[in-house]
Amino acid sequence: MLLSDLLDSDAVDADGRRVGAVIDVRLEVSGAPRQLLADTVVTGLLVSPHSRFSTWGYERRDEDGPLLIARFQRWLHRGTFLVAWDDVERVDEGRVVFRRGYTARDAALPRAPRER
Amino acid sequence: MTENPDAFQTDAAPPPAGQVLDAHLHVLDRQVLDRDDVPVTTADDLELDGIEVGAPIEPGSPRPTVSAILTGPQLVMRLFGGHAPAARTIRIPWRLVSEVGTVIHLGVAGDALDATWAERWVSRHLIGRIPGGRHAPE
Amino acid sequence: MSKIFAVALGILTAIGGFVDIGDLVTNAVVGSRFGLGLAWVVLVGVVGICIYAQMSGRVAAVSGRATFEIIRERLGPRAGLANLAASFLINLLTVTAEIGGVALALQLATSVAPGWWIPVAAFGVWIVIWRARFKLLENVTGLLGLTLIVFAVALFMLSPDWGQLAGQALQPGPPSDEPVATYWFYAVALFGAAMTPYEVFFFSSGAIEEQWTKQDLAKSRLNVLVGFPLGGLLSLAIAGCAAVVLLPQAIDVTSLSQVVLPVAEAGGKVALAFVIVGILAATFGAALETTLSSGYTLAQYFGWSWGKFRKPAKAARFHLSMIIALLIAVAILATGVDPILVTEYSVVFSAVALPLTYLPILIIANDREYMGDEVNGRAMNFVGQVYLVIILAAAIAAIPLLIVTGAGA
Repeated sequence: MLLSDLLDSDAVDADGRRVGAVIDVRLEVSGAPRQLLADTVVTGLLVSPHSRFSTWGYERRDEDGPLLIARFQRWLHRGTFLVAWDDVERVDEGRVVFRRGYTARDAALPRAPRER
Repeated sequence: MTENPDAFQTDAAPPPAGQVLDAHLHVLDRQVLDRDDVPVTTADDLELDGIEVGAPIEPGSPRPTVSAILTGPQLVMRLFGGHAPAARTIRIPWRLVSEVGTVIHLGVAGDALDATWAERWVSRHLIGRIPGGRHAPE
Repeated sequence: MSKIFAVALGILTAIGGFVDIGDLVTNAVVGSRFGLGLAWVVLVGVVGICIYAQMSGRVAAVSGRATFEIIRERLGPRAGLANLAASFLINLLTVTAEIGGVALALQLATSVAPGWWIPVAAFGVWIVIWRARFKLLENVTGLLGLTLIVFAVALFMLSPDWGQLAGQALQPGPPSDEPVATYWFYAVALFGAAMTPYEVFFFSSGAIEEQWTKQDLAKSRLNVLVGFPLGGLLSLAIAGCAAVVLLPQAIDVTSLSQVVLPVAEAGGKVALAFVIVGILAATFGAALETTLSSGYTLAQYFGWSWGKFRKPAKAARFHLSMIIALLIAVAILATGVDPILVTEYSVVFSAVALPLTYLPILIIANDREYMGDEVNGRAMNFVGQVYLVIILAAAIAAIPLLIVTGAGA
């Protein structure tokens, strides 16, 4: 399956009610160790209840500047939450179904170290 | 994380066991460089292994993994929708990735990859044939 | 001693490199119609390009990533592609205008029709990009372009009524004999001429070509903050000359001959020789920069290997795209279109394209993942956002004004 197929899918709960759109897929480099990196696994899906538009991560990180843009993006993607992969019942075309009683988790990213 | 006081309460996510990346934010559309920092391509899409469309997921089943970076006609597919036939897509297996930061570093030389065939072709058949093409600038 | 020399070289190169065919033509046209009435636009534009170039240079030096890589990453492939298409086409238009400018300058020098010079100019641009080292390319054209100072010299020699010039510059709003829409059209055009997008692609990619470190950043800051404003003064001198000689006689600027007329009047054949050398160097230098920018934008969007620091065989698609861009420019000019007209359109469309490239830079300059501790300070963000608004306003107004005023007729 392609990542682009998952992105922009509708996210629905067990009753078929739409709770948002999948705007990103959370990965973790923590699977079985390989030659270079460990396996990169899918740990969850990020869902935005209000918008499908491109997000620059303002709602998941502490970045504050530039102010106008940060404010706008945070408003656009207010209420974004993370759903663990274990809470995903089924992946259909253009749609992802969550299990009954799934947990909405905090979408915040751990503080990114200085990358170069 | 949200400033809105009436947003629903979210639970904290479990602490990560390794580097955390958001596929769209951190991986997609980033430059892919080879082991000598020579650009190979841009990551146009990712291939995920272990998700079957329409099939219910058993609780406790292994989580899907990222199996490859896709490029080639993939960009056009992403822009306009649709799927390229598997034979046309250019894959860079994820196991060749050595680091993911502001760029994606591969642990191998670019020349060994399918992804650089277009560059090698233009180099050999066009640019390389113009006098001076193989020399560094004065 | 050599350090002072290096600093001076940097500043002088920045001054000489600031002016291109767009600045030459637009400032002369504006001077011949509004006097120095639009001088404030040059001021706003110069401050804008200083901020913009500085930010993109800092991003490139600290993160190692060039402008278009960032545009693709932040805006995504669709918006990025729209951005690429717009930037590339406008760049191509600018390449065409600059090559045309080189041909026109050669015509001034030799009285041989520009049509003959066009392929020569294009070939000259190509061979320099193919073989010359980056630094050499920049320095030679920048220094030779300094001879454009003869415009400032000429202005003094014409003994203008400084009070009248100042009066024009300080006048708030359009003069009574020109329609308001035309005034604002030229304001947008002048703004686009000062804040050319290719300058930023070139500057940020150049930072990576030369592998800038943080020390180089400080040096570049000096070059930009001293060089560009002086370049802006040079633009004003061009407008001033036109204001003093062309405006009173209601001479329209339709070719380079009118642009250099004030200089010839002030200083005769010698001054004319200087100014032709200057125009030749400035437009040739700008042609190099815009052609390289065409290559940079395509290569960075698609993730191709790029850079003059690599041998052409190792950056094959980069060089191929530049060759194709030059061929297209020659083809366009071969249709006999007036390079001055192409120039006038290129500056207006530059204004339209500005927000597309400016916004991602502003965002990444704040991103700690790319910049670590070198993110924008509050002051820079504040000014940056003010300019974002100005740039958006200019971009939105450009096309309607173009249509309403019939390209400033």
